[in-house]
Amino acid sequence: MAFLEMENVSVGFGPEGSRTEVLRDASLSVEENEFIAVVGFSGSGKSTLVSLLTGLLRPDSGVIKLKGKPVTKPGPHLGIVFQNYSLLPWLSVYGNIELAAKQVFPHYSKAQRKEHVERYIEMVSLTPARNKKPSELSGGMRQRVSLARTLSMQPEVLVMDEPLSALDALTRANLQDELVRIWEEDKRTVVMITNDVDEAVLLADRIVPLTMGPSATLASDFKVTLERPRDRTTLNTNPEFKKLRNEIIHFMTAMNKEAKMLRVDKGLAMPDIQPIDYSATKRSA
Amino acid sequence: MKRTIINTAAIVALGVTSVFADLDLEKDELKFGFIKLTDCAPLVIAKEKGFFEDEGIQAEVIAQPNWKTLLDNVINGNLDGAHMLSGQPIAATIGIGTQADVITAFTMDLNGNGITVSNAIWEEMQFNDPDLDTPTPKHPISAKGLKPIVDEKLDAGEKLQMGMVFPVSTHNYELRYWLAASDIHPGMYTESDTGGRTDAQVELSVTPPPMMPTVLEAGNIQGYCVGEPWNQQAVAKGIGVPVTTNYDVWKNNPEKVFGVTKEWNAANPNTHIAVVKALIRAGKWLDEKDADGNFVNREEAVRILSQPNYVGADYDVIKNSMTGTFIFQKSDVRKMPEFNVFFDHYATYPWYSDGIWFLTQMRRWGQITESKPASWYFDTVQKVYQPDIYLQAATLLLEEGLIENSDVPWNTDGYKPATTEFIDGVEYDGRDPIGYINSHKIGNKDAEGLASK
Amino acid sequence: MKFKILKALDVAGLQVFDPVVRLICGENPPEQVRKILLFIGVPIVTFIVFLGVWTYLAPRHTTKAGEVPTPGVVKSAADGIWTFHVRENQKATDFLLEGDAREAALTAVEARIAELEPLAAAAKVKLDELDAAAKAKIDAEAAPLQEQYKEMRKTSRDENKATKAALIAEADKLPVNDAAARDAFLAKVAAFDLKQEADKQAQKDFKAKIDAAYTTKFPEMEAVRSEYNGYEEELQYLSKRLDYLTGDNQSLKIAGESTELNELEATFLTAEGGKATFAAAEKVLKKQEAITRISDSEYSRPWTFPRQIARSVWCVFVGFFIGTAIAVPLGVVCGLSRVCMAALTPLIALFKPVSPIVWLPIVFIIVGGFISDPELAPVHPAFLSSAITVALCSLWPTLVNTALGVASVEKDHVNVARVLRLGFFSRLFKIVLPSALPLIFAGLRISLGVGWMVLIAAELLSSSEGIGKFVWDMFNNGSSQTFAQMFVVVFVVGAVGLLLDRIMIVLQRSVSFDGAPTAI
Repeated sequence: MAFLEMENVSVGFGPEGSRTEVLRDASLSVEENEFIAVVGFSGSGKSTLVSLLTGLLRPDSGVIKLKGKPVTKPGPHLGIVFQNYSLLPWLSVYGNIELAAKQVFPHYSKAQRKEHVERYIEMVSLTPARNKKPSELSGGMRQRVSLARTLSMQPEVLVMDEPLSALDALTRANLQDELVRIWEEDKRTVVMITNDVDEAVLLADRIVPLTMGPSATLASDFKVTLERPRDRTTLNTNPEFKKLRNEIIHFMTAMNKEAKMLRVDKGLAMPDIQPIDYSATKRSA
Repeated sequence: MKRTIINTAAIVALGVTSVFADLDLEKDELKFGFIKLTDCAPLVIAKEKGFFEDEGIQAEVIAQPNWKTLLDNVINGNLDGAHMLSGQPIAATIGIGTQADVITAFTMDLNGNGITVSNAIWEEMQFNDPDLDTPTPKHPISAKGLKPIVDEKLDAGEKLQMGMVFPVSTHNYELRYWLAASDIHPGMYTESDTGGRTDAQVELSVTPPPMMPTVLEAGNIQGYCVGEPWNQQAVAKGIGVPVTTNYDVWKNNPEKVFGVTKEWNAANPNTHIAVVKALIRAGKWLDEKDADGNFVNREEAVRILSQPNYVGADYDVIKNSMTGTFIFQKSDVRKMPEFNVFFDHYATYPWYSDGIWFLTQMRRWGQITESKPASWYFDTVQKVYQPDIYLQAATLLLEEGLIENSDVPWNTDGYKPATTEFIDGVEYDGRDPIGYINSHKIGNKDAEGLASK
Repeated sequence: MKFKILKALDVAGLQVFDPVVRLICGENPPEQVRKILLFIGVPIVTFIVFLGVWTYLAPRHTTKAGEVPTPGVVKSAADGIWTFHVRENQKATDFLLEGDAREAALTAVEARIAELEPLAAAAKVKLDELDAAAKAKIDAEAAPLQEQYKEMRKTSRDENKATKAALIAEADKLPVNDAAARDAFLAKVAAFDLKQEADKQAQKDFKAKIDAAYTTKFPEMEAVRSEYNGYEEELQYLSKRLDYLTGDNQSLKIAGESTELNELEATFLTAEGGKATFAAAEKVLKKQEAITRISDSEYSRPWTFPRQIARSVWCVFVGFFIGTAIAVPLGVVCGLSRVCMAALTPLIALFKPVSPIVWLPIVFIIVGGFISDPELAPVHPAFLSSAITVALCSLWPTLVNTALGVASVEKDHVNVARVLRLGFFSRLFKIVLPSALPLIFAGLRISLGVGWMVLIAAELLSSSEGIGKFVWDMFNNGSSQTFAQMFVVVFVVGAVGLLLDRIMIVLQRSVSFDGAPTAI
């Protein structure tokens, strides 16, 4: 039996009648210490998948099991790295990590806790920024804090929700290397959601495409057999890499067309509305 | 209580002189309330001239925003006692407005109010009554000249509006008396009309004293009845003409009293006597005259009263009325030595007949809604007016040599002799309240049979 | 060093002085000078212009109720208020003085009295002279006018009488049913009415002239009068000081009583016979009691304006604290629970717009119910009522902002809490409240501002000692200083309000983690 198991999971939102199914019959199994990348288009239900895997959301049907036990609620053993960092802006780098450490290891003495927190700050190379507030940090640094916070909980599974998508290309590349380094150093079971196929190929052991939503599901996986450590500079010329990448992209674009046709068939007219982000107004209030 | 008095009197007689009189005070730090009118003088003087201190009392004298708050503060114990309208203790006792047992053992002054009309009304009055059309018209001025104006307004579907300071104030009754004496109906209070405007030909409304000149100038009211300095202010600012003072409406009428609650008196009997002692001395000091009959202390009193924490008006404004000069018009300045009486004519004694006069007016204008027998009037006034306390205080003062034997009406039954010194000449005898109520043309009448009940 | 000061200025909300510090440190002088001119110079110039316009306009706007005071008059009113405060404090000090200090003060007071008395007397003589002269001048001016006026009225009345008689006579002969003739007559009567009106108006105008004569101002006399009044007031004050340095002085009173106590004790020692001994014993005890009482007594000082300001500020903080203690927990509950929000929304909407003038009497009754004896109550009921009224009127912005802040905690932060499996209270205190804090403080700042405005009205009605009572008392005084004193109050209330707001801004900034700027 796999370490993390997702069996025929379906989930949807909205009231009865006009219900939108986001995921249908999605299945996934992850082995211990495996690095899995889930790639998908935006709007295909990637974030829903993250919520399901970490227990933030309960499936309508199907079951998610960790080491054979069903996952029913979130907890520190299911670590998440959020897409927009989710740092508490009133706490310093140290404070943010300490909050998590305090909660997960309540029996630690003060000194132990300090050492623990500092170890993770060190791990993401943020020791000089230890006492800074999130607002004083760059995006990449913030994501490192977020990563350190999650790692400091020593989760059994690390689920990352597009952790690098909000960053510029250079920072992104930098952080990718960092991620690999940390993963090598501190082996864990990782599920990373991404929309970047290159990134997936670079980092993951296995890549699972998410089909087009609504009613998305997980398609059959692609194994990445490239040798580790993988060097991004030479990777682009690696034929195996190119082949795998093209296969996945091909698969994805085909799926996209299919989905579009499907949607036309359904003849469902979508209203031309944009979701409003209230968080922005709240901040300035 | 009598016995303590005799004991203390004995000690005084033994000649143990001390800055503290030897009354056993139940309480020695007292708070008194007052309204910013010149007739609060006895309280202020008793404090500033050290008469309270001589009794061992540390007094704080605190200005109150209005008569209602003042009464409430006395009732709920924020204040130990206060400068009150004569009608207030009576009205509180019989339950007009706020119900509470408030008593008085000291009358603070006589007279001191005036009735002022706007310039326009004064001109029309002069037009209607050529006798008034001189720079110095003959006093007293009745409301005769006002009658045609009232009628004219009524024909036009309007009513003349006048201001007074409180529903049970002397001002209300004086203004009504003055109007009714000239056949102008000022309106009745009824069960459902607590504003007192039923049948009114002139409507009266409550306006705070300092607002009077402003409201008069704005034209909301055409006249008002109020204490000093607000009549003189109207003259000074040129917005109105005082037509009469309450001295002319009823010669030497009682104006303010010193009121405390019945419970306070029961808890602090000796303190109350000590307070009354200090107040009597203050009254005497205020009315002290030299051989020529000029007040010797009034200027100093005015100096004190004009301090901002007391009356606070300009020295030169309150000096006029307090030293016996009243300006009716810029061209008409008169000597009125008895505009404020603080001690003469046994002014400070709490006369039953004074209390009964207010009761008859409350009945006359319907604030007392039902007929009462004469005995009710006597009983009620005895609940409120406490000459016993006054006399105990006076006895001590006499023994201490601070007042003369002739300063106090020792053997009175509490009723002043019958008098006709009213603007309409109607006779008032406190012993016959029912007969007095019935002797007025306008107002409630009671069955004659009640007079003997 | 420089950056520390700059940082401190920034935190204190005094960024205005930023360029001054930079200039002193020699950082880009032209730029700093430009900034100083803009941020400090311009406001000062504006204020000076404001004073100038005020000084120019004030005397030009006169109503019968009085004149608008000029800045100079307001300044002198403020001085008067201050003098009163200082003098009352001096009396309180005098009451407690003893020994050599008392002697020295006494000598000083006596010297000053000796100095003032001749001055006052001279001023009085001069004032009487000027007064008589002024009266004579007015009479000389007014008497002929008065005569003229009388003549004018008489002529007018006679004329009108004659005209009226003539018209009546004419009417007698008027043919019946002759419309034309009757119309002509009507016109004549109308003309007569018009003339009467015109006469009246003319008389009124003339009367105004007489009144003007009476109100002629004599600046020299007024100056002497105010000088004289100044002397007399100071003399009055000094004579009161004299009382407190002599007969009414605490130490002297105690000394006197102690002598008597000694005598009484001697009597007691030698007393014979049961009754007499007992009486002597009682006397001794009573005297001891009297001494204790005197040594405990204090000068009963009236509430002067500076003390009233302090009391008002204290009151607004008490009210603000009560309001916050209600609003924040309630807001948190509303923000957390949709049920509570739904339950409380109508009540909040209903009570929010109620004016302090309505709350106060209600609060008074309720507070009065809990305080049966004000003597024993730890706080004065009027003070408490004012504070509660402030609380009731000012808690709404805090309540609404807290509810909003709590309800709109970012979903990601909530998820963090879920992942960490924070309990209810750690979630509340570690995630929800910190995240709502900037909004809560924005609400508190508005609340304090509202509270300060409401307080003045509440004090005015409740006669709780404070600025509001000062306003009402001064208004009641109706003295020539009243209007100027109101202006003093305007500036004081404004300045204190500004200060309170500044304090809140600093607090608000200290909790705002997102670096959002606060409005000025």
